[in-house]
Amino acid sequence: MIFREVEDPDLIAKARRGDVEAYNLLVSRWEKRVFNYLLRLVSNREDALDVSQDVFLKAYQSLPKLDDPTRFSGWLFRIAHNEAFSMLRRRRPETELAGEPRPADLNPRLLPMELSMAVETALGRLSPDQREAVLLKVYQGFKFEEMAEILECPVSTVKSRLYTALDLLKTSLAPMHKETAR
Amino acid sequence: MNCSFFDSKPESKPDWKAYVLRELGQDAHRQAEAHLATCSICHEEVATLRLTLDALSTLREEEMPRRIAFVSDKVFEPRWWQRALNQTVRSPTFAAGVLVAAAILLHGFMRPGQAQVDAAVTQAVSQVEAQHMQEIRAMSEELDMRNKQVANLYRNVMLSQ
Repeated sequence: MIFREVEDPDLIAKARRGDVEAYNLLVSRWEKRVFNYLLRLVSNREDALDVSQDVFLKAYQSLPKLDDPTRFSGWLFRIAHNEAFSMLRRRRPETELAGEPRPADLNPRLLPMELSMAVETALGRLSPDQREAVLLKVYQGFKFEEMAEILECPVSTVKSRLYTALDLLKTSLAPMHKETAR
Repeated sequence: MNCSFFDSKPESKPDWKAYVLRELGQDAHRQAEAHLATCSICHEEVATLRLTLDALSTLREEEMPRRIAFVSDKVFEPRWWQRALNQTVRSPTFAAGVLVAAAILLHGFMRPGQAQVDAAVTQAVSQVEAQHMQEIRAMSEELDMRNKQVANLYRNVMLSQ
């Protein structure tokens, strides 16, 4: 008998019938990716964790509305995007007082490399829309069409945000390129 | 510095960002690779983009401070009827068993009790007894009437003699 890992759509079907363990397995598969995506968006570990919890709660409650279980990841990240921006909108006054977006308050012990810190800073300088485009493409590996669904905007807008972000990052990280090229 | 090959037809210049992000179609990707092999200017542009992506990839994924737990949360536990319904839907054998059990229970509720049976039997016996008593009374009355007739006949005969 060939061992086959249970696929996400199977777990979704079970979770829809009230199988909490199946949903728990889905959470364990996706929580780290969702958390890291949210961490870069909201720039705070506790907020990212709170929003992650909300995302998975909302996803569980909305599972019956998921039309195509094979597109779970995009659907989940759309919920995450909406939750994150909803939280950011609620906290806009604080953000504006804080001024320029700051890099995520990461544990410095986990980022020993200079390059990694430079990336963190460069990402922090992008606008939230540009940063999110980079996160979805570079770190989560979504296609342009999937990103357009998650962000609920045309593919041309996705490309515009991402390409501008890449140009800015290319400039910001150019000194690091020289360092690494040496 | 621009690539001289695409200076004459900039509209056909490959989208190098889409190329490094693996978003070009197969044909466009092959065409772009063929050009890259011969053009140092475009090669450098792509190399810079790749360096940027490589730098981005050095960003470490953060561990979660704590896991998101759902099993312990009562909110997520299905109610007893949901569990029963799910079990029924999942297993036809179990569903058949439930049906049989329900039928037995229903029959148990619908079946008359022993007291009702006893009452019905008593009533039926009473009816039969009453009917028999009525018949006996009718026969007895008829017998009395015939006896009287016989007695009258006997008296008339005696008087005529």
